[in-house]
Amino acid sequence: MTGLKIHQDKCVGCGLCVKTCAADALAIQNKKAVVNEACILCGMCLDSCPFKAISIEKQAAPKEDLSAYHGIWIYAEQQQGKILQVAYELLGKGQELAKQKGCKLTALLFGNDVANEAQSLIVYGADEVLLCEHPLLDTQIDENYIDLFDQLIQERKPEILLFGATGFGRSIAPRIAARRQTGLTADCTILDIDSENGLLNQTRPAFGGNLMATIICPNHRPQMATVRPGIMQVQPCDEAHTGEIIRVDYADPDASKTASVELLEQVIAAHVNTIADADIIISAGKGIGSQKNMELVKRLAELMGGVVGVSRPLVDIGWSEYQNQVGQTGSTVSPKLLITFGISGAIQHLAGISGAKTIIAVNTDPEAPIFSVAHYKVVADCVEILKHMIANLEARPENGLLIEESKDKLS
Amino acid sequence: MKIAVCIKQVPSTNEVHMDPVTNTIIRDGKQSVTNPFDTYALEQAVQIKDHLGGEVIALSMGIPATERLLRDATSRGADRSLLLSDRSFAGADTLATSYTLSLGIRELGGVDLILCGKMAVDGDTAQIGPELAEQLGLPHVTDVLAIDAIDEQTVLCRKATDNGYQRLKVTLPALLTVVKDLNMPRMSSLPGILYSLDSPFESKTAADLSADPARIGLNGSPTQVVRTYVPQRIREAIVLEGDESQLAEDLLNIYSEVI
Amino acid sequence: MDLNLIKPMHDDYADYLRDESRAIGQADSISFPKNEYEVASLLKTLYAQGTPITVQGARTGLAAGAVPRGGHILNLSKMDHIKGIRQSADGHFHITVEAGTILSQLRKRIEQKKFDTADWTNESQQAFEAFKDEPALFFSPDPTESSATIGGMVACNASGARSYLYGPTRDHISGLRVVLHDGQIAALKRGDYTASGRTLSFPTLQGNQITVDLPTYIMPKTKNASGYYIEDHMDAVDLFIGSDGTLGIVTEVELRLQPLPQTVWGITCFFSEEAAALDFVISARDTMNQLASMEYFDGHALDILRYQKQHNPGFSKLPILPDHVNTAIYVELHCQEETDAVEGLKTIGQLLEKAGANPNDTWVARNESDRDRLLFFRHAVPESVNMVIDQRKKTNPMITKLGTDMSVPDQHLKQIMAMYHRMLAERNLESAIWGHVGNNHLHVNILPRDDEDYKKGKALYDEWAAEVTRLGGAVSAEHGVGKLKAKYLEVMYGQEAIEEMARLKQYFDPKGLLGVGNMFEPVKGEVSQ
Repeated sequence: MTGLKIHQDKCVGCGLCVKTCAADALAIQNKKAVVNEACILCGMCLDSCPFKAISIEKQAAPKEDLSAYHGIWIYAEQQQGKILQVAYELLGKGQELAKQKGCKLTALLFGNDVANEAQSLIVYGADEVLLCEHPLLDTQIDENYIDLFDQLIQERKPEILLFGATGFGRSIAPRIAARRQTGLTADCTILDIDSENGLLNQTRPAFGGNLMATIICPNHRPQMATVRPGIMQVQPCDEAHTGEIIRVDYADPDASKTASVELLEQVIAAHVNTIADADIIISAGKGIGSQKNMELVKRLAELMGGVVGVSRPLVDIGWSEYQNQVGQTGSTVSPKLLITFGISGAIQHLAGISGAKTIIAVNTDPEAPIFSVAHYKVVADCVEILKHMIANLEARPENGLLIEESKDKLS
Repeated sequence: MKIAVCIKQVPSTNEVHMDPVTNTIIRDGKQSVTNPFDTYALEQAVQIKDHLGGEVIALSMGIPATERLLRDATSRGADRSLLLSDRSFAGADTLATSYTLSLGIRELGGVDLILCGKMAVDGDTAQIGPELAEQLGLPHVTDVLAIDAIDEQTVLCRKATDNGYQRLKVTLPALLTVVKDLNMPRMSSLPGILYSLDSPFESKTAADLSADPARIGLNGSPTQVVRTYVPQRIREAIVLEGDESQLAEDLLNIYSEVI
Repeated sequence: MDLNLIKPMHDDYADYLRDESRAIGQADSISFPKNEYEVASLLKTLYAQGTPITVQGARTGLAAGAVPRGGHILNLSKMDHIKGIRQSADGHFHITVEAGTILSQLRKRIEQKKFDTADWTNESQQAFEAFKDEPALFFSPDPTESSATIGGMVACNASGARSYLYGPTRDHISGLRVVLHDGQIAALKRGDYTASGRTLSFPTLQGNQITVDLPTYIMPKTKNASGYYIEDHMDAVDLFIGSDGTLGIVTEVELRLQPLPQTVWGITCFFSEEAAALDFVISARDTMNQLASMEYFDGHALDILRYQKQHNPGFSKLPILPDHVNTAIYVELHCQEETDAVEGLKTIGQLLEKAGANPNDTWVARNESDRDRLLFFRHAVPESVNMVIDQRKKTNPMITKLGTDMSVPDQHLKQIMAMYHRMLAERNLESAIWGHVGNNHLHVNILPRDDEDYKKGKALYDEWAAEVTRLGGAVSAEHGVGKLKAKYLEVMYGQEAIEEMARLKQYFDPKGLLGVGNMFEPVKGEVSQ
């Protein structure tokens, strides 16, 4: 029987599951939880039950002998002949998983003239590289890759297959999963091998990052997952590590079939950044005291590789331009780091910065509303802090060039 | 031209949080809405229809209440809608869902173009488009940010890549997934709403579609969720103290940590 | 009293010298009291010292009511607790909040039915349980700026688009607590203290009786936020609502909630001729009773939006306006059943056709995200105008916003619109008009290009104030008088009535320190001793 099961012996009718259910499918009757037709089997109630009285029963058995599947594969995506950073990150995590499973780590390298890149995959952890070179693999057109993956998976039976969640990875991985009729979990932030059953535990944010979900693919192979660039760690290069490079053939497509997707042009665009894109924002409010002090703010931003933001009053009085304005009527920003100087934190301003990952607020008023959203609270004179931070950075040798440049500006 | 638009019903807000007293997951319980990305797919389909003639059909796999959203699509230019609804579709992961949707597309017959939103804001896997295309044996292109030209045989489109875009020529029938802002989804018009109250609508079950029970719903899903939890998130500003020079150093340390 | 409460003014507080009117004031000190006790101590101390006091909420006001003219700023933003819920005998729920509570946050709590009840009395906790079981309730006043505080809304008797159906803030206040100039506190519940004729009396918690003779004037019968609310047998609560911080400091307010209509649909209708739009408004007003609001946008307002959409990334999300239209009317249907809303929609379609407009030129919002899009569109109009003004201000600091807030009785709608258009064209002034056309209450905004335009605009304002008064309308229909419209109060009421108001104020504020410049110019505030 497939569906949600309430274990009568464990259920005490506490009703917590009823509150969790977004589909209104649960109710308490005669002191026990009962489920109705509205249940969409999302599984949220399972975790809410303190008595583990809810489970989802699934009727499934593996279609084939899963023990034939071994090895961890990672797709080493390359663009213009260069392997992407995310491939090395996957190798980093792959090494760990391979060790836990006691199996081989294989990297897939497909392209037109990429054989010389294979060695770098080995020193970064690959025990084996499957190398396929062909003109049709020169550009990223999905349909030129799918059959190749399909054929290799069928022949060599990897247990786990990982992709970087790049634009291309997110397009071909699902197609391959559907071709192989297996499971795929996107954008995993945590991957590990379950100590009890040896399955890959695939954990990812759900519901806009408010919840985490751990997913498994128990009865189908390969277990597939994608990982965003920058999530996993690259392991140190080991020049002594050896591995095998295996050339695989590319089956030429049926000549009578015309390509369904033709690449007319590949454009690599220069990205124009606005304050909304910035990773680092140094922002100022009226508390910096005078327009002259804006120069300090600009200098610090320059030294830190960030952009200048301002609260609305500074735009109103002409110390800065509207495009630098942060807040509800300006730009909404979500930088990795936001440092505010002399901003008290009017509600309209706070509304624009709620997405910032780390907020350091500097203000002389300990009661300033900005501190209610800041991660770090600094009650001090902003101009002094600015001056000290600038002096500190300018004293660093790597910033020597910037000092020379700024001296030219001042003279 | 016959265009199918895949629509998903999603919760209107992603506000899910832990009730501190009961330690359970509480949702905001607001009304469901059409996945925002799908609204761009629908708008594009209607613009193409306005240009070339033909019909736009809104398609969804969902609970009976999804009929409301499908009708809403017909208030914004879709001609009719089809709902695939059956208890046995419940618990489907992307593979089972794409299989079910493929049955719906086959049921419609003669579809020239399938438009999907890039991803759903609740699942956000972005997998349905490519998987559905595979189930149908059709070419697909993800992340379409503009359609430059279209006729009965081909579509010229631009696809967003990580560092720019590709200009592609795609032979129809095909499936495209679209990103936000490739158009401005229209509001319903007054006559549109009156039309939608009675627009042609069908609901089909697993049996109606001759669905393979082993490939739908929970049974047809290779993946399953084993655990859901709230990541720890408590924010109380950490107070930094000291003289100005020390503070400056502390701030720069934080900077090197987070960047 | 903790003397640390009074902080000397400092550059960090520069924001607190201004509000949304864009006027800039000056002050010597500022405080952020956390409770009524601190407010009373502060007021008593400062008053004894002879320090002028300006009260602030979130400084979202448009009449410079919160802009200080020297002295002390008493900012209530820290007093934002929701203190309890009560269910009255008639079944209504009432919620008590501190004056610094922000409207948008209050709305969220009411919608989610989530409150911090730890400090609540048992009665409140019980009422809360009943409240949770009730179908959705809401607090209806909807000023455009939802980051306003309740205290601010009480000070100017705020209205919003939906006040067309539900009435202004006044209609939804069932009680308040006010601190008087000497630190005494009056806790007033609607119904407890009413005037006999024009004599009003109520007790303070300190055991004294306040008795005052009310002015004799009659208030205009239109939507009005100008001057003290005065009526025969009026309730003591009403005296303080709309008093712009000139009689005392309201610290706590009890709000009356009402059932939220289950179906709310917004419809923006476009017209290629303004005459058709006004015909539509008049016929809709006469035939439909489920309309919660009726809002108007003229051709210049639409053109500004078109421009912003093209040039300003912040406005790229604005829906695309049809090319051929030059007037927009937004109406909102509030019904219980969806079937009623459908009927309402059909009626609107018919009225549009009757007025010679095309029902296809409509945007209908039935869900929250679409309603937000229409709201964004409506808010974008005043925002864009502000941005134009700010831009021009850079080269010409004398330029500020010049917007009217006048309303007239129903029968004069077409007449007043014609007058506005004619006189603006005659004086060759750039403008944009939008507003609550259901109450014949339009905001005519003049966009001065230079000093001369600004002067011409101010002159027009004076002429219009006189004409609107002549037609029986109000010069400030919703923003309050504040400082910017003080001189128009005399135009509206006449000198005698102003002197009566001044006497009333003097009773509550003998030294003339509360809200200096609000409602009265300081000179007029001093009545012959």
